[in-house]
Amino acid sequence: MVIGRGRETGANGRGFCYHYASGTALPVPADESRACPRPPSGSFLEVMPRMIHMRNVSKYYVEDKPALVDVDVEIQSGEFVFIVGHSGSGKSTLIRLLLRELLPTTGEIVIAGQDVIRMKSWKVPYLRRNIGCVFQDFKLLPNKTAYENIAFALEVIGKSRHVIRTQVPEVLRLVGLEDKIDSYPDELSGGEQQRVSIARAFVNRPPLLLADEPTGNLDPQTSLGIMKLLERINKTGTTVLIATHDREMVDTMRQRVIALEGGRMIRDQDRGVYGYVD
Amino acid sequence: MSINLGYFIRESVVNFRRNWVLSLGAVITIYLSLLLVGVSLATSVVVTNIVKSVEEKVSIQIFIKDGANSSDVTSLQNAVAKDDLVKSVRYISKEEALRIFKEQTMKESPEIVEQLEDNPLPASLDVELKDPRNVEQMVVKIKANPDFLKVCDRPDKPEESLKYSEQTVKKLFALTNIVRVVLAAFIGMLAVVSLIFINNAIRLAIYARRKEIGIMRLVGAGNWFIRTPFLLEGVIQSLIGAALAIATLGVVRAALMPRIGEALPFLPMSVNTTASLQISAVLVVSGVLIGLVGAAFALRRYLKV
Ligand SMILES: Nc1ncnc2c1ncn2[C@@H]1O[C@H](COP(=O)(O)OP(=O)(O)O)[C@@H](O)[C@H]1O
Ligand SMILES: [Mg+2]
Repeated sequence: MVIGRGRETGANGRGFCYHYASGTALPVPADESRACPRPPSGSFLEVMPRMIHMRNVSKYYVEDKPALVDVDVEIQSGEFVFIVGHSGSGKSTLIRLLLRELLPTTGEIVIAGQDVIRMKSWKVPYLRRNIGCVFQDFKLLPNKTAYENIAFALEVIGKSRHVIRTQVPEVLRLVGLEDKIDSYPDELSGGEQQRVSIARAFVNRPPLLLADEPTGNLDPQTSLGIMKLLERINKTGTTVLIATHDREMVDTMRQRVIALEGGRMIRDQDRGVYGYVD
Repeated sequence: MSINLGYFIRESVVNFRRNWVLSLGAVITIYLSLLLVGVSLATSVVVTNIVKSVEEKVSIQIFIKDGANSSDVTSLQNAVAKDDLVKSVRYISKEEALRIFKEQTMKESPEIVEQLEDNPLPASLDVELKDPRNVEQMVVKIKANPDFLKVCDRPDKPEESLKYSEQTVKKLFALTNIVRVVLAAFIGMLAVVSLIFINNAIRLAIYARRKEIGIMRLVGAGNWFIRTPFLLEGVIQSLIGAALAIATLGVVRAALMPRIGEALPFLPMSVNTTASLQISAVLVVSGVLIGLVGAAFALRRYLKV
């Protein structure tokens, strides 16, 4: 059973809802269709209200076995969105397409007004500087402290020592780890490690933050803390997109949910729930 | 860019320390390869010197009969001297020939000199050629000269009146060509071996740092920012190898060359300062090239950015 609605933005900038049940498109005013937090005035976000635009995106790693089929996603600046689905439904593929780690087989992807597919490869690093990302396995360097891990991310994109010295402690305070600044990853709990990795993703204040199963390795209590942290980051104006199959979490958070199944988008719902029983 | 330079050097040093076994392996192979390249080049310099010194000794001697008409001899001398192939012609009189003979023979067998009553040696024209390879062509020309038959030592057998070391020259050229080809092949092989070793060392360095590289990509480090430390590492490794090779060659040159020179006094074995500076420059440049190319191969294959 498929319920819910898809979303597209027409040429006039107004959205319309698509009723999967009835199979008809019902035009609605754009402002009614999405109540999203207003971006801070004067920011990059204000001039780029549409953060993610994916249209007819398909990805075939191998012929005849698509990982994504005809996916259309529109995400406005400042939204908080879950991508849910079983293992193998294509969530990670979608994230990797947005990071331009992969190119789609067909379709178009535009992030903050930039055509990701036609982008020259030397420009890709600059795209990624505007996208924070968080993974299930934290991706921290074991031989560096919490501070050094975050400083490393700033250093390799050429930030000055001054910027590093002021921003790293600040972002560690934001994620609640000011007293773990000199701890190595193996001296931190899973939840704390994930906070460090979120701090690293957020230290540049990117307009977009992607998270692929950020709570996949954590217990429910810790997971909730991580989700609340991501929600707080979202409140600062950063668009947050989280791939997860953590049903309880999604149901608690009451945010927009995009559901994938076998690479197809089967549902796109405001204040959604995970939606089906395994 | 000042932070970047500091960063790159720090990264390369950290890399080197972390993978010091591998880096050392790369340095040693480059050192050995460049050392052999250096030895080959030095050998080639020595061989060239030897060939030159032998070439200089290649000349055609025309023996003149006693009592030949001196205007005929002069006319032959002038005709030969005018030829394009000829560098110089020198007339050696009977007396001078005897004096040279005495000088050469006196040390080894003075009894022969003492037994000489009159002068058995003929006068001669010594023809030195611009290029020793043309020796046979010149011989033909001389034989065709009408004055030659008039003045030559043995008009019945004109060939006998000409002396030149045709076989020696041919053999020497064949030998030096073989030596050159073998050295070139050897150097080529060594370059390939060094490339493989650098490629391997950098591949392992990339593998050891794959996690860092993944994170660097993720946070948007530039492609060249990611690549540069590896290129630099390849270059540093080969520069250390080149420095060691140059030092070794210097020591060998200072310690060994004089002894070889003593043992083989008749061969010009020395490698002069200019030549050894040139060899050092070649080693540094080829070291840097090998380092860059080897690292670039590894980056192309193992570091997709
Ligand atoms: N690198 C890859 N090569 C081939 N097939 C892949 C690759 N990555 C993922 N897939 C396939 O694509 C499908 C979607 O995978 P993925 O996007 O990882 O799903 P999810 O993250 O929802 O578990 C799966 O069938 C998976 O086997
Ligand atoms: Mg996944």
